[in-house]
Amino acid sequence: MKKMLAGLAVALLSLALCFSSALAEDEIVFGETALITGVFGFAGGELHEGIVDYFNYTNENGGIRGHKIKHVFEDCGYKVDCSVAAFKKIQAEYKPLFYSGDSTGFMKAINPELKATENTLMSGVSYATNLTDAATYTRSFIIGPSYSDQMAILLTHAANEQPGAKIAIVHSDSGFGNDPIKAAKVKAKELGLDLVEVITTKSGSVDVTTDVLKLRRKNPDYVLFHGYVLTPINEFMQQMRDLGLKTKFMGTYWSSSELMIMKGGPSADGYLGVMHLNYFDMEKSPGKEWDAMRAYNLKVHPDKASRPNFYMFGWFQGMVWAEAIGRTLDAGKPLTAENLRATINAIENWDTGGIASVPVTFRNNSIPVGRIFRANIAKGRYEPVSETITIN
Amino acid sequence: MDWLFFIESSLAGLCTGAIYALVALGFVIIYKATKVINFAIGEIMMISAYFFLTFAGIFAWPLWLALPAAVVSGGLLGGLTEKTIIRPMLGESPISVIMVTIGLSNILVGTAQIIWGGGPQVLPGFLPRQPIFLGEIYVSSKIAFSALIAVAMLICYLLYFRFSRGGVALRATASDQAASFSMGISVPRVFNFAWIFGCMATALAGILFSASGGLSPHSGGMALAILVVVIFGGLDSILGALVGGLIIGWLETIVGAFWGGEYKMLAIFTLLTLILVIKPYGLFGTKEIERL
Repeated sequence: MKKMLAGLAVALLSLALCFSSALAEDEIVFGETALITGVFGFAGGELHEGIVDYFNYTNENGGIRGHKIKHVFEDCGYKVDCSVAAFKKIQAEYKPLFYSGDSTGFMKAINPELKATENTLMSGVSYATNLTDAATYTRSFIIGPSYSDQMAILLTHAANEQPGAKIAIVHSDSGFGNDPIKAAKVKAKELGLDLVEVITTKSGSVDVTTDVLKLRRKNPDYVLFHGYVLTPINEFMQQMRDLGLKTKFMGTYWSSSELMIMKGGPSADGYLGVMHLNYFDMEKSPGKEWDAMRAYNLKVHPDKASRPNFYMFGWFQGMVWAEAIGRTLDAGKPLTAENLRATINAIENWDTGGIASVPVTFRNNSIPVGRIFRANIAKGRYEPVSETITIN
Repeated sequence: MDWLFFIESSLAGLCTGAIYALVALGFVIIYKATKVINFAIGEIMMISAYFFLTFAGIFAWPLWLALPAAVVSGGLLGGLTEKTIIRPMLGESPISVIMVTIGLSNILVGTAQIIWGGGPQVLPGFLPRQPIFLGEIYVSSKIAFSALIAVAMLICYLLYFRFSRGGVALRATASDQAASFSMGISVPRVFNFAWIFGCMATALAGILFSASGGLSPHSGGMALAILVVVIFGGLDSILGALVGGLIIGWLETIVGAFWGGEYKMLAIFTLLTLILVIKPYGLFGTKEIERL
């Protein structure tokens, strides 16, 4: 009797293992080094929820061509050494097809190991210009315009609005802040703009009085901010408005969140941000996918009626990965890094149903397209004010 | 050379320096009395600013009530920290105590994230915004009024430590703990008192900084310059904290104005290195200081 029971138990266990491995074979694994804690936790937490919600939404709607998504992640709080260790662990255990990196530093540091993996491709929070070098970063891509392209889009908008305008650039002294400055100087000259001042601030700078003094002397038509997520853009705008300057303020993606600018009060009204995505709060629905995203968010997070642009980033990143896999499967090709890469490179004028604010076309590891959105402080939202601007 | 710009920048730098001096004073009071190097000073600044945000922004208390309440709350946090965390460490090695304050700073960051969330916050405006012009010289009213408040607090502290019984007890304990104890001074109470007063100064500076720079749980990083100030001025010197604060604030601003923000850290750490080579105990520090 005992032998029979033991035999039965072994048989059941074997069946269970077979069944579970069959399920695992059907799953597509995505990895992520999340930014839930740490200095950028307020943004990374939203971004992570955007990714998670998109995967759950997709799974609830049948997965990607019938394949369920398995999402594995570890929170590293913006620490490169932790991110590298998390990547190795997830890679060894799951071999994900796509992986989301949590910083430029990590995405650059992991590049040799990423290229050595069997089939993993990586995108993430970085818009670093270096990552657009497709010859070096063969397995990485950016899901938006690079920082240089973002600056170029802002400068193009300024040139369209006011030819020959006086421009000042204010950026932080960090890898992030310094990234597009050289390219922006060249672009400003090319567009016939008058670059009157470039100010570098210490990261986390508090007192901006002397920088405001410089700007007061130059009285620029536009000030472009880059390299800030929190301070000190609002302080710049407030002091310059207090001095009676009519300057227009502009910023790149991470400096154009509702979380910061909407708290800037009247002096932040009219702030212009470059965005390849739509915002979560828009006056009119830009498309069906956008409606579905909002409905799903309300269904699973009834307490979160509004989301910052970081959530949109996470959702969009999941969409890009799923689209690449779906198209590759539709073409009858195996899911290898080479095939997925080719699929991504071939994406042209993809209509994302209102998640992206522009038709999505990949060029040089990135999407060199964006629109300008204007902060309407009274309404508490950004509104589109330009057509699609493409950087060649 | 644009002399007008130099004067405007110098004024801005000295105003920033006055706030640096206030934080440095808080640091020095604690070190002078208890020999504890408080690495959680930035986070105490940050938490105190959140106290102000809560009182003035959420509870909508008037400024005359919210500001003192936040400063006192910061002081009470310091007193509680001393009583529950630092006092049990008495007699342990300085490294252990430093590690405790580093741990405390992480706990405060986490606590702020749990209570107020991780997102950026803007304090309710309580400083005048109208630009001040002294002839042709422009001074930001925010930074000028912040400096005035800091200077007023500094004067109150200096008078208190010079003339009050509590101040004398603190100075006596700082000079010789055993002799103070034998003369009937309650040394543990003085320790507690030093943490309360030190953290009150820190709290006010945290609110003033956050009024311009915004607030998030990681705002405590602003205190890095303060460590430079106190090492430069002398860890146990109140005069050093005041002079050091003004010099570092001025230098940082002038370098930023004329060479660019990327050279600020380079300049102040170069100055720090120089002063440590010439006067290893800081500008006005006592030679017997035990160094790490």
